[in-house]
Amino acid sequence: MENMIYAENLRKEFKKIIKEPGLKGSVKALFKPKKEIITAVDDISFTVPKGEILGFIGPNGAGKSTVIKMLTGILMPTSGMCRINGQIPQKDRKNYVREIGVVFGQRTQLWWDLALRETYAVLKEIYQVPDEQYRKRMAFLNEVLELDDFITSPVRTLSLGQRMRADIAASLLHSPKVLFLDEPTIGLDVVVKENIRNAIRKINEEEGTTVILTTHDLADIEFLCERIVMIDKGKKVFDGSLSGLKHNFGDVRTLEFELVNAPDFKLLDYQRRFRLTEDEISAERDGVMAKVRFDTAKVSVEDVVSYTLQTVHVKDLNIKDVEIEEIIKRLYRREVSL
Amino acid sequence: MRRYLRLHRIFIAQYLKRLMEYKVDFLLGAIGLLITQAFQILFIGIIFSQIPTLIGYTFSQILFIYGFSLIAKSLDHLFTDNLWMVGYRIVRKGEFDKYLTRPINTLYHVIAENFCVDAFGEMLTCILLLSYSIPQLDMPFHWYTIPLALVVVVFATLIYASLKIMTSAIAFWTKASGHITHMLYMANDFAKYPVSIYNKAVQVIITYVIPFAFTAYFPASYFMTGENPLFCIGGTVVAGTVMFAIALFVWNRGLKAYESAGS
Repeated sequence: MENMIYAENLRKEFKKIIKEPGLKGSVKALFKPKKEIITAVDDISFTVPKGEILGFIGPNGAGKSTVIKMLTGILMPTSGMCRINGQIPQKDRKNYVREIGVVFGQRTQLWWDLALRETYAVLKEIYQVPDEQYRKRMAFLNEVLELDDFITSPVRTLSLGQRMRADIAASLLHSPKVLFLDEPTIGLDVVVKENIRNAIRKINEEEGTTVILTTHDLADIEFLCERIVMIDKGKKVFDGSLSGLKHNFGDVRTLEFELVNAPDFKLLDYQRRFRLTEDEISAERDGVMAKVRFDTAKVSVEDVVSYTLQTVHVKDLNIKDVEIEEIIKRLYRREVSL
Repeated sequence: MRRYLRLHRIFIAQYLKRLMEYKVDFLLGAIGLLITQAFQILFIGIIFSQIPTLIGYTFSQILFIYGFSLIAKSLDHLFTDNLWMVGYRIVRKGEFDKYLTRPINTLYHVIAENFCVDAFGEMLTCILLLSYSIPQLDMPFHWYTIPLALVVVVFATLIYASLKIMTSAIAFWTKASGHITHMLYMANDFAKYPVSIYNKAVQVIITYVIPFAFTAYFPASYFMTGENPLFCIGGTVVAGTVMFAIALFVWNRGLKAYESAGS
């Protein structure tokens, strides 16, 4: 299949002036600046086939947004190149951005003081969407993202979930071939997250839109992405399927048990019971809660739950989502143990 | 070009809608503005009632130069006010990302997105000053006077806008440059009076370095006397063109240096 996105040895360095703390440090930095070069993105290469949804993950400050900003033409790479939809973003920016949609979850591109529909009216002109196509498009986006309830409200009055849906619709108005979503589900409740995931999937399926998505929520990835690229400290550390990632780095789950008698906690000895190392299963107490972290490749959820229920009285039980941060932590531990 | 004109109309319409969205704010702003301008005119009146002539310039001539200086200044104020925000906030906060992801010229987009109706206050003062002073001056009038005046206004406005463009663009490297823009922009105060009242150094600066003298004194003196058209009018055209070329160059280089902000 042809590649829609093609990134080769992308690298971005920022010059940073090192300041000592306090006003004195700031004054000193003004006259004798100590410069340091920070490599935010370090030789990253990957490709994305047409029509794929790629999950782009990594801890905060890993360089995800910087990569997205280079791919969208906002930043100039220090070296390396990227080609998207056959074009080099930095070369003919105006032409290139016509065919892409961009959402930065932390920022909005909507006209803050105006009714939401005014934003779409302006974007229609900016992207030169013909009237007929605009009508159809709005109807489609309305259906997928349920904008009708708030399309006449001023943007400043929208809730975060509404605003995010509105922003995604704004990025899709001109039917882009590639969609860049930087943390589109950040800070949203489960229902809105679900809604947004469904919308992204629907657009991908119906229009074959290629999507790059960054997120901290593994559920987003599980629902949407066949493939993920994980970066850390500017370097690519994994490129493959989600099951591959779990296979490589372990599928870590956390179960939380609310104990009837908190002191019962010392009765639980998971490592001895399952003959596993601390790395594979561990428990800690937090008030009346017992938190058990374990690798599902080594022991099943079922076994952990039944052992716990047999050993102590449990009032409540909570299964936590797998967190990407957790996988990355494990990745580090592996590197150390290797 | 036609597309940009159409877009501009839409941006203006959106701006007006925004203005209506905050009616009280708009009303208070308009009242404040009228008061400010009334005081300004009063102030000019008081000063010139004390000084009937200034090194050979009559009261009316001074008022004409002052009024003339406000044409370009108010037009620039009305249309390109958003440039201030580039140096003060847009770049520093990473808000410039938005402009770079849209298929229109970034400079145009920033400028067109906002208007500043405060400028109508200056326009009002400008009209009052000109309509008071022009009948009292015996100015040469030809068929080409009006077209020439229009040309001058365009290039003089370009001088103002270009200064703001190039100094705001410094923010692409330094993250914030509002104060630099402010400092240099304030030199326009010198343009309101005849250049000959200043010492040599100031004269050279406002003629050749920050050529504000071409936004008012030089073209105004041509219209009053009909002398020296090549320097007075030609100078304005050249200064406007050169400033704009430098501004575009700095802006485009700046885009490449833009570093966004963390999110």
